[in-house]
Amino acid sequence: MRARFVVGKCLGALATLGFVLVFNFFLFRVVNDDPVGKMFRGRNLTPEQLDRLRRQFNLDGSRFEQFAAYLGQAVRGNLGISMQSRRPVTTEIREALWPTLVLVGTATTLAMIIGIAIGIRAGWRRRSRFDVGATTFSMFTYSVPDFWLGMLMLGVFAVQLGLFPTGGITDPGSTATGVAHLLDQLHHMALPALTLAIAYLGEYAIVMRSSMLDTVREDYLLLARAKGLRDVEVRRHHAVRNALLPVVSLSALNFGYVLSGSIAVESIFSWPGLGQATLEAIRGPDFPMLQGLFLLFSAALIVANLVVDLLYGLLDPRVAGR
Amino acid sequence: MGRRHRTMAGAVAALAVAAVGWVLPAHAAEDAPVTLTVGLLQDLDSPNVTAGYLVSSYEVWNLQYATLTDKAAADFATEPGLAESWTASDDGLTYTYTLREGLLWSDGTPLTADDVAWTVNTSRDQGWMNHSSITANLTATAIDARTVTITSSVPDPKLPTMDVYILPKHIWEEQAAGDITTYDALDGVGSGPFTLQEWKSGQSWTMKANPNYWKGAPAVDQVIFRVFTNADAMVAALKKGEIDAANAVPSSAFAELQSTDGIEAIFGTQGSMTELAMNGMGGGLGDGHPALQDVTVRHAIHHAIDKQVLFDRVINGYGVKGTTLSVSPDPAWKPAIAEADQYNYDPAQANQLLDDAGYVDTNGDGVREMPGGGQELVFRYAERSESETAAPIRELVTGWLEQIGIGTEVSVFDDTQLTDVIASGEYDLFVWGWTPFVDPDPMLSYFRCEQLTTSLDSYGYNDANWCSDEYDALYAQQNQELDRTKRIELVHQMLKLFYDESTYVVLFEDAELQAYRTDRFTGWTRQPAETGPVLFSNTSPTYANLVPVGGGGDDSDGMSTGVLVAVIVGAVVGAGAVVLLVARSRSSRDERE
Repeated sequence: MRARFVVGKCLGALATLGFVLVFNFFLFRVVNDDPVGKMFRGRNLTPEQLDRLRRQFNLDGSRFEQFAAYLGQAVRGNLGISMQSRRPVTTEIREALWPTLVLVGTATTLAMIIGIAIGIRAGWRRRSRFDVGATTFSMFTYSVPDFWLGMLMLGVFAVQLGLFPTGGITDPGSTATGVAHLLDQLHHMALPALTLAIAYLGEYAIVMRSSMLDTVREDYLLLARAKGLRDVEVRRHHAVRNALLPVVSLSALNFGYVLSGSIAVESIFSWPGLGQATLEAIRGPDFPMLQGLFLLFSAALIVANLVVDLLYGLLDPRVAGR
Repeated sequence: MGRRHRTMAGAVAALAVAAVGWVLPAHAAEDAPVTLTVGLLQDLDSPNVTAGYLVSSYEVWNLQYATLTDKAAADFATEPGLAESWTASDDGLTYTYTLREGLLWSDGTPLTADDVAWTVNTSRDQGWMNHSSITANLTATAIDARTVTITSSVPDPKLPTMDVYILPKHIWEEQAAGDITTYDALDGVGSGPFTLQEWKSGQSWTMKANPNYWKGAPAVDQVIFRVFTNADAMVAALKKGEIDAANAVPSSAFAELQSTDGIEAIFGTQGSMTELAMNGMGGGLGDGHPALQDVTVRHAIHHAIDKQVLFDRVINGYGVKGTTLSVSPDPAWKPAIAEADQYNYDPAQANQLLDDAGYVDTNGDGVREMPGGGQELVFRYAERSESETAAPIRELVTGWLEQIGIGTEVSVFDDTQLTDVIASGEYDLFVWGWTPFVDPDPMLSYFRCEQLTTSLDSYGYNDANWCSDEYDALYAQQNQELDRTKRIELVHQMLKLFYDESTYVVLFEDAELQAYRTDRFTGWTRQPAETGPVLFSNTSPTYANLVPVGGGGDDSDGMSTGVLVAVIVGAVVGAGAVVLLVARSRSSRDERE
């Protein structure tokens, strides 16, 4: 891979991030002129108290002064103070980040492994009973809304059968540590993770299958078979490796959505992650918090895109060589 | 084929084993404290009393900070609190409070008059959000450790009631030097029955009993507030016994909970109301329809609305039928409106009123016009998107208006937009609501002329866009009337006047639906008695009153070490089996199938 290619891609990503940073500021200023006045409606506050709040949230100066203050803070990693909790936005986001990373990360990994395995099998043996069943299943899970699936899972496994808790990340008030604590968390994560995994895996299965179908028709596979290679070797070393390319980009892109992609499921299972934080911030509306979340979600996507570009360069030298 | 099935069977078995590991509850019950778990749908915004403003945060402060005077659970009557007694000066401006003997903060530091004086004076000087509406005109002086005087600059009918949260000076003094609102307030030092021990943002917060509480340590050792983002899951948790009580139960689940054994479901009202407001163009900004400035048209609309149907079908009977403005959860402040003076549902009379006043339909399109022809009586109706009852109310109300020859154009707004629309007066009708404080003053103050929005630089509270010198004069009188009976009489006059003007048609007073398990605790206390809620009430008396049923203790199922070992062994065996099966099937698949 040429250095120019890498540097170019990185600079492009940085430029996009810079644009998002600026756009982010004006987006929320256009939507709302006086967030403080609206947030504290019906609170019996005097105009002086409201002015003090505006000062506290950097909303008192001119548009340009506000922008300068915002940029200065953002560059130093300070995203301001949440209007709701008065805690730094970075602290709020950091606390909500881990639950989401763990939940969606687990679900995406599970979905990827199972989905790709299904796709390989289905694509390799086209029109077999497995293919028909797997394709139907994948289409179904791909089109099912995740909140509906979540409600169903909750209703059956937590309420009817009583096997899992009705929500949350640990037993509130539990003082367990070590293995017991871990088991408690797994117990709470099982339903939401399974819901997301089922909702996600269809996409991987379908993309992998169609990619396999394209590869199966290639001449080099015929050659590999003619050389007398065993079926499993042909599949593993020649078919799957090439067919994985589109799935790799899909996976990397999906990891960009990991942070923002589970608002509905988090809300159904009372999972205290970024989805819940976003909902709370919208309800406020807590503008510093929303600004921070949008920045994070955009940054995650930009980084994921960069990773895809670079990976492509690695996996397919034609892309980076030009 | 057979081998492939075996692989899948192995995978299924492994999953099953793993699932068993997840299913088993992973906490051990050793000498479990008596725990009350409350489910709710709203997290804390901030435990800092100078910054937070959500209902859930008030519950924390109600439990953590005692007040000089308490409010009776039954009727909000002023009772001794941290102060055991008080005397008034002759001019009624100064009260001298005597604190109980031996008061201690939960950390063991003595609670003295100095804490009281510091809280009152600092909150006034710094304009703390939840204190200053009461302390703005007060000055407190600590005479000795147990005596504090509070002087008001104007006659203040709220005194001797002093229901502001008294903060521990030794903790907060340092914070008040800087920006006090950014303090995390997780110190857990208080004087009420429970103090905050831990807050897991977005999940739960835990409050433990305060052994130094002046009424004695409560029977419950800790209260856990568990945050749900899914109301149906919360109801399920209550039925399963994961939680002992639930706030804001969805009305769809309420009837079923009422008939569930071991669960009591109640609806409690605290004066929250929903009103249809008409733009009276009483001096604020705006371009309201000229017909609504005619009180006859407003009366006709009032007559066209069937409050019984709203009560039965929109709030399913969980609440109170609407009459006049609700200014307090305390029913003493609400006047009885004589039958003859009520604007009851009577479309025939509504039509008659409009006919007589000259609002007739001259062009035969079913909609009346202004007297002498001209502008049609078509009103812009602003609907709130962030309300579950907005759509059914709109359906009913627009239908009723159609019956009396009034057309509507509905637009839907979120709260932010609607606030702007109302402030700029660019509406004819809207439906929204208010929740009053115990003292009627704030709610009454909103409809004074000075609260009209006359410039978009600062929004006033007067969203009826209505103004009356008579009302303002009565307001000023009640605001300084120290005799409660006389003050009630003045407030009743104001509310009758407001009712008669009909810029607000109060549709109903909605209720908080709550449910609790009766098999674990007794002593659930409604505030006010019989009609109020048991949780999230004005001073939250329930928590300190609860006693476990039959000795109590946490009866949640724990997991013994034996089971834990069995699960781990099972998981390892299962995983091993899978590895074996996969390996075997792989080796056999090396031959082409």
